[in-house]
Amino acid sequence: MAHSAEIDSKDAWGGGQSPFRVSYGKMMMWFFLVSDALTFGGLLISYGFIRHKYAEVWPKAEHVFTHFPFVEQHLPLAYVGLMTFILIMSSVTMVLAVEAGHRMDRRGVTIWMFWTIVGGAAFVGSQAWEWFHFIVGTEEGALRDVWSMETGSYVRQIFHGANMVTNEYGVPQFANYFFFITGFHGTHVFSGVIINLIIFLNVLKGTYEKRGHYEMVEKVGLYWHFVDLVWVFVFTFFYLL
Amino acid sequence: MSEFHDNYPQYEVMSNHSEEDGKKARRTLWNVFWIMLVITIFELIIGSMAPGHGWTGTLWLKVLFIGLTLVKAGAIVLWFMHLGHEVKFFKYVILLPYFVFMCYTIFIILTEGTYSGQPGKFAPTNKIFIEQQAALKNGHHGGAGHGAETPHEGEAAGAGQHH
Repeated sequence: MAHSAEIDSKDAWGGGQSPFRVSYGKMMMWFFLVSDALTFGGLLISYGFIRHKYAEVWPKAEHVFTHFPFVEQHLPLAYVGLMTFILIMSSVTMVLAVEAGHRMDRRGVTIWMFWTIVGGAAFVGSQAWEWFHFIVGTEEGALRDVWSMETGSYVRQIFHGANMVTNEYGVPQFANYFFFITGFHGTHVFSGVIINLIIFLNVLKGTYEKRGHYEMVEKVGLYWHFVDLVWVFVFTFFYLL
Repeated sequence: MSEFHDNYPQYEVMSNHSEEDGKKARRTLWNVFWIMLVITIFELIIGSMAPGHGWTGTLWLKVLFIGLTLVKAGAIVLWFMHLGHEVKFFKYVILLPYFVFMCYTIFIILTEGTYSGQPGKFAPTNKIFIEQQAALKNGHHGGAGHGAETPHEGEAAGAGQHH
């Protein structure tokens, strides 16, 4: 990594080179990630604010997120822990793909990018599974004031699951924020999987061998790590705190 | 795209490295992975123990979780995204504005968000949610309310307060 040495600011800004010693594409990807991080930061801060407002009645994550596939019993936070592991793992495979790219090791890049895409797809599928169980809800449900079309007023009855207006777990904002933040994040994961797939196909085609460098892999790798980074924060604020 | 190239140094190619450097790099990356795994498992264990031991909502728990999350975030940005390998000034260009914005946003929401400081003042929280949480605390999982309020009493309360 020869470019990690410090440079004299006169040389850096004198022209004829990047003052940051990075290529244009990588720098712009970083700038985009800062903007996206600001968006998620704003969303999470607003979540913290509303959660604090309703602190006494906010549901506990260990009670809500207890499902695990193919298992009957309640396992609090186990599935979301598995999702976190899958995403961190896919981040590791992605950075290994980038490292292989730095050695022009085409076979290594192919293998590691393949596993990254698998991990990403597994995460999106898992998130869809979580949403399904969240929306369908439990057998017990909870008492809620639900708008009834027939009577033209609110009726108190047992409500199951969640929608954008009511949910059985707590105040409406709980489901709203869950859907919005995990959905926004899930969209980023999904688009990341698509982008990774496109770059993966380019790797197979030999585009980057011809180009002489695998920096495109590094750039989408930055996006993928950002997605993992956001999940680390979402995981903490939604499920742990 | 390669025809359109000024006389700039080819940073993309300059970041290629040898097999030996690759081995060292990979070892570092796997070490970071193990650290992340250990921290996450620790967080999950504490998180699942917290309600049983009454740690929920305590300050030290929040500080612990947020602190560990920042450690994980730093590890991802520094080693996975290779920001640690970049020129120092570029690191600052990326990180400083972000931290300034986050600190400012948190500060402004804490100081200006006074309308929401008193939950009961402007729009009282519907009693249904309070009862549900109380029931859950008493150990009735999935609290379908004990039918404490009769429908028409609840209807008046609900119709006036539903957001």
